[in-house]
Amino acid sequence: MAQVAVRGPRDASWANAGMVLAALGGIALLMQLLDPGRVAEVQNFLLVFSSLLIEAVPFVLLGAVVSAAIEVFVPNRLFERLTDLPRPLQLPAAAMTGFAFPVCECGSVPVARRLAAKGLTPAAAVTFMLAAPILNPVVIASTFVAYRGRDTLWPMVLGRAGLGLVTAVAVGWVVANKSKAELLRPRPGDHDHDHGDATRGTAFFGHLAGDFLFMGRYLVLGAVVAAALQTFVPQSVIGSVAGTPVVALVAMMALAFVLSLCSESDAFVAASFVQFGPGAQLAFLVFGPMVDTKLGFLYSATFTRGFFRTVVVAVGAVTLAGTLWIEVLVG
Amino acid sequence: MTTAEATLERAEERHWSAARLASAAAMAAWAALFWWLLATGRSFLYLSDRTDWVVPMGAIILTVAVAGRLWSARGPRPEPLKRSDAWRLGGIVLPVVLTVALPPASLGSYAAGRRSSFVSSGYTSTAADIESGQLSLVDVAGALRSREAMQALVNRAGQEVSFVGFVARDSGMPADEFMLSRFLVSCCVADALSIQVRVVGAPPGELAEDDWVRVTGAFYPLGREVIVDASEVEPVPRPKRPYLNP
Repeated sequence: MAQVAVRGPRDASWANAGMVLAALGGIALLMQLLDPGRVAEVQNFLLVFSSLLIEAVPFVLLGAVVSAAIEVFVPNRLFERLTDLPRPLQLPAAAMTGFAFPVCECGSVPVARRLAAKGLTPAAAVTFMLAAPILNPVVIASTFVAYRGRDTLWPMVLGRAGLGLVTAVAVGWVVANKSKAELLRPRPGDHDHDHGDATRGTAFFGHLAGDFLFMGRYLVLGAVVAAALQTFVPQSVIGSVAGTPVVALVAMMALAFVLSLCSESDAFVAASFVQFGPGAQLAFLVFGPMVDTKLGFLYSATFTRGFFRTVVVAVGAVTLAGTLWIEVLVG
Repeated sequence: MTTAEATLERAEERHWSAARLASAAAMAAWAALFWWLLATGRSFLYLSDRTDWVVPMGAIILTVAVAGRLWSARGPRPEPLKRSDAWRLGGIVLPVVLTVALPPASLGSYAAGRRSSFVSSGYTSTAADIESGQLSLVDVAGALRSREAMQALVNRAGQEVSFVGFVARDSGMPADEFMLSRFLVSCCVADALSIQVRVVGAPPGELAEDDWVRVTGAFYPLGREVIVDASEVEPVPRPKRPYLNP
């Protein structure tokens, strides 16, 4: 891959790059010869896989840009000031910051990691990460459009924003006693981003490339799993439980996990599940942007072992309790 | 040259970093994919009209990121490309290869069968839209969603419609019937929802699954289904934008 002349282990670099290029070339050749698109399942898998990535990669990139800018251009003292806020205010304040960050869940993960690395309390960074994909104005607007004309418009729009905020703060509270070292997974290369020659520009592009490529490979893994599930698990499997209390809510959360939709589009899909009540649709809309297949891989890459399990349990419990209440109130 | 000057020269010596160049190459592959999608119009096989703006955005930001990475690719010491890092970067580039190597295709009858339980969507036509004008498959989806919209559709039963979609068949369907199908995509193919109408009176044995056709005929809403009694079924090429958008 590298077209490079370096001293010392130059030959090894060429050999490694050549090996990978040859493998990629071989795969391209096989694709041409075998035309896997002739097999419906393979074609469906590849279309969903590519579309998930084509939509998500620019947002991950945007997240990496913001993350690199925070690292290079935002002074640490700003975050120290934020940590001076009274503790009960820190988490809601972090969640409300999501209103000003119009990027969906893929972009918020690298930003949250950088915020925690720069000195924001890890709990506040996690709260921000979970709240931003639900509270950002683009998502609120898309939820409004998806439910426009229905009796449940305002319960869905306000319920999603309110329950999203409460859930994000709850998870932040659950992880509040964890230190940065306990929560963030050390990343190889964290401390050797182009060091030794770091002008601000060099450092910025170094962090940008590092974040993008690191998150990118986990995004690819997440897209593989999500596309496989979408291809082989028909959506009709959950239709039979639409009328069953509680089970319907859990089924919609499971579906959100499997589909791994962008939070800016998921309201349109949720609104199509007319056989499910507003509570179940809301469960889909709150759970999905915080926990899904591709996020599982991104969280595992970013946070220490056990974090993903904690998020699944905490988000699941709060979403379930909240949507049950909403079902009682408006269902 | 004094010892101090020699030391200074060594300190200022810059080396191309193989690792940085490799990361620039991986990002360049993705940038090239986005420019290619833009140039060929293939983004519409993956994204909706609403979200295809991410393609130029991705292309531009990635190109700038590649330029910046190349600009900063020389460092004070050599950085070889390790084998494990090369494979990781290869994994990131793999989707680019798969996307470019896959012949142009859109979701077809296989996906329609897996998504057919949920035919309505949150951004379809209202009763007012359906009452007048030319009927579309989006109107059908709207009618299946609300009672008022279905009543508006029922009021126009028997009128002639012309729908474009692809052929899908359920098992046990008579030879002169098929489901005319189309996907409604909000953001990307992952959120596609299927819209289907049953076509009767089609020429038996002439149409294969996934063939694109234009069906003209009288339509009749019947329960949770819309039936088109075909007067003409004409093969057409797949539309440039195969998915319907909000």
